Amino acid sequence: MPNEVRTIQLQLPSRLGYERVAMDAAGAAAKLMGFHISRVEDLRTAVSEACINAMEHAHQYNATMKVVVALVIGSSSLQIDVADQGKGMPESVESPDLTKKFSGEQTARGWGVFLIKSLMDEVQFNVRSEMGNVTRMVIRLEALEEEEQGSTESGR
Amino acid sequence: MEPRVKTKANVRIHGNVAIIDVDGDLTPEARETVELAYQRVTSSGVRKMIVKFKPDAYINSGGIAIIINIAIAGTKNGQTIRLVQPSEHFQKIFTMVGLRQYVEIFGSEPEALAGF
Repeated sequence: MPNEVRTIQLQLPSRLGYERVAMDAAGAAAKLMGFHISRVEDLRTAVSEACINAMEHAHQYNATMKVVVALVIGSSSLQIDVADQGKGMPESVESPDLTKKFSGEQTARGWGVFLIKSLMDEVQFNVRSEMGNVTRMVIRLEALEEEEQGSTESGR
Repeated sequence: MEPRVKTKANVRIHGNVAIIDVDGDLTPEARETVELAYQRVTSSGVRKMIVKFKPDAYINSGGIAIIINIAIAGTKNGQTIRLVQPSEHFQKIFTMVGLRQYVEIFGSEPEALAGF
C-alpha cells in the first residue's frame, strides 16, 4: 500500500449487529496493510466493542443516531476513530474483575473498555472532534509485519 | 439488524457428560437460547458439561458475559464446565479476562471428553 494517508468513513445506525460492518471494514483494511491475522482479529474485536459502546451508552440504541467510524490508513499504522453524539465516558470506570463478578459484586458484563485497552497499541477516550465524541484506537505494524509487507510488494 | 441466522444451542449426552453445541455467534441475542440449554442440562442433574463453539463464531463482550454467567451458575450448582474449540483469538481473550481460572478450554471435543 503506498505511503500516503487514506481515510475511509462509515456511518452506522445505532442498532446491534451493524457493528459487524465496521468490524469487517477495519479487518479488511488491516489485512490489506499486512497486519498479522492475530492482530486483525484483535482489531476486529476492539472496533466491535467501541461501536457497541457508542450504540448502547451514548445513543441508547436509538437507530436514527449514527455512529461514525473513520479508518485512517497510514504507512505503518491504522487509526480507527469511533464517534458518537454522547457525553463521553465517565472519568473513572471500575475495571472488570472476574473474582468480583463471581462473588456478585459486579455484573458479568462490562468488558468492552477492558478489551479495547488490552488489544490496541494506543487508545484515547473522549477525544472531541467535529464528528462528536471519539474513541481513538491505533494499531501499528510491527517490524516483522512491515518486512513481510515490503517483500510482498517487491515481489509483485 | 437482527441476525438472519439465529444461534441455536442443542444438547447431547455423552455418558455422564452433557454437551451444548452452540451453533452460531455468541452475542447478547443468543443469551436466552444458550441459558435455556444450560438450564435443561442442570435440571437433568448432569454435573459435567461441555460448551462447544463453532471455530468461526463471532463472540463479543455480551457473549463473554453469557459464558461468565454460566460459569458462575456452574460453580453454584457444583458443575464442572469445559469449553471446546473457541478460536485461538477467543481463547486468548478468555485468558485475558481470567476465565481459565474457572473453566478449562480444549481444542477438540475428544480432548475435552478424555478423562472427564
